[in-house]
Amino acid sequence: MDITFKNVTYTYQPNTPFEHTALENMSFHVKSGSFVAIIGHTGSGKSTLLSHLNGLQVPTEGEVTIGDYRLSREHKPSDLKELRSKVGVVFQYPEHQLFEETVEKDIAFGPENFGVPESDIKKRIEKASRAVGLSPELLKRSPFELSGGQMRRVAIAGVLAVSPEVLVLDEPTAGLDPRGQKEMMDMFYQLHREEGLTTVLVTHSMEDALKYADYVIILNKGAKYMEGRPEEVFTQKEALQKVQLDVPEIVQFLTAFNQKFHTSIPFQKQSEKELARSIQQVLKGDEEK
Amino acid sequence: MNSIIIGQYVPGDSIIHRMDPRTKITIIFFFIFIVFFANNVTSYGLLVVFAALSVFLSKVPLQFIAKGLTPIWFLVAFTFILHLFVTKEGELFFDFWIFEFYTGGVMQGLAISVRFFLLILVTSLLTLTTTPMEITDAIEDMLRPLNKVKFPVHELALMMSISLRFIPTLMQETEKISKAQASRGVDFKNGPIKARIKAVVPLLVPLFVSAFKRAEELAMAMEARGYQGGYGRSKLRQLQIGKIDIMVYLVFIAVIAGLFLTRTYG
Repeated sequence: MDITFKNVTYTYQPNTPFEHTALENMSFHVKSGSFVAIIGHTGSGKSTLLSHLNGLQVPTEGEVTIGDYRLSREHKPSDLKELRSKVGVVFQYPEHQLFEETVEKDIAFGPENFGVPESDIKKRIEKASRAVGLSPELLKRSPFELSGGQMRRVAIAGVLAVSPEVLVLDEPTAGLDPRGQKEMMDMFYQLHREEGLTTVLVTHSMEDALKYADYVIILNKGAKYMEGRPEEVFTQKEALQKVQLDVPEIVQFLTAFNQKFHTSIPFQKQSEKELARSIQQVLKGDEEK
Repeated sequence: MNSIIIGQYVPGDSIIHRMDPRTKITIIFFFIFIVFFANNVTSYGLLVVFAALSVFLSKVPLQFIAKGLTPIWFLVAFTFILHLFVTKEGELFFDFWIFEFYTGGVMQGLAISVRFFLLILVTSLLTLTTTPMEITDAIEDMLRPLNKVKFPVHELALMMSISLRFIPTLMQETEKISKAQASRGVDFKNGPIKARIKAVVPLLVPLFVSAFKRAEELAMAMEARGYQGGYGRSKLRQLQIGKIDIMVYLVFIAVIAGLFLTRTYG
């Protein structure tokens, strides 16, 4: 589903001393089927933006369009259930939302609410738990007996079981160990490819954004600061440093390398291996001269 | 939920903000008493002026206070109307169908409404200009004499400050979890009562789980930092009666004196 923000402004507690504008005149477009990373510091409006994606918050000004859904102050659909069944949101620390007696019941909770027929639910539990790598014998256990990482997988399976078309991820790897982080991101990327999802990833990690996203939006103090393809955005070191963001390591390395050896290998989102190969070629070419 | 201002602190540096919390509590305590002694226009006027002056000095935006008092208007209006119908004193001045309105009823209704309004206004001014921590510090200090009868004043104050401290945290948590469950298709606003009551379960269970976890972590952190109760514990924030407080006390005593004068002669 296409997602469009048109001049969206959101203000918390308007007309009080606590008035706070979290989003200001934000416009962008996310193409259906793309993987978008949203990057910004704490307080840059990421979470507020995210709540607009399934109608948890409705813009104070401006308009959000998600698929056929139009959300604005004048136009507030009373029934957001259908939208929410199509936009799955994995919040930060999603394991905090677990409440059922067994893992299985918790995963089934979303589909039941959205009226998925009983016969389908079993299949969906199976599929979702396989996707997140939960072993079947855990399904009958209480989610509160599991380890933190497993709990998170259960929570994510609960979102996936609704089989959304848009998947919104708010720092899904926070608090996991490096291996767990990689596993989780790879899993989301695979789902994104296989199911043809539109994925919106909110992250602090430049590396993840570079690796998985095909479009990057950088927020600063509630406004859009930069946007573009990752290889365009991440090579603008000065602009990024102005908002205290770092260039990804691989770009840093390549810039330093190019300077040192007076080469000009362009950055095209190559993997470490590809880059190593082109460096090898350049260096060998130098020797032959 | 945002319209409730009782318990919400508005940061500032006004005279009212800088007053010692004990002074504020003492004055409000006595104010609540003397409100019931006012018996004529002059004496009510005096109290209204005092309250208005406090609000003015606190520099809390008026429209914010007005907005916060909106839930109270209903109660005030209700008591007024009740008095209008029930009190049958003074002269009959209006007569409609089976209802008879008396001047006494109007006066009584007005008086009660003003009282009510003043009480709420002054008490909300306390929480608007005083942090919860200051209030607990003040209460701990003021209850100290009870230590003599083995009343655990410090523990009580600690319990109070911990619960106050965690109100915003738990509210945030509630909001977070309700957002997560709403995204999973829970509808907290529409549907039959039974479904809505059932919708609370997915909210309450995670909330309790996290509250217990938090309590455990807090207890551990306190123990790790050597907390062992109130005895011999020094304080970071010392309460001190300053010039402002003395002046405020004097003004307040003048108000009380004025009130009793106008009450008898006004």
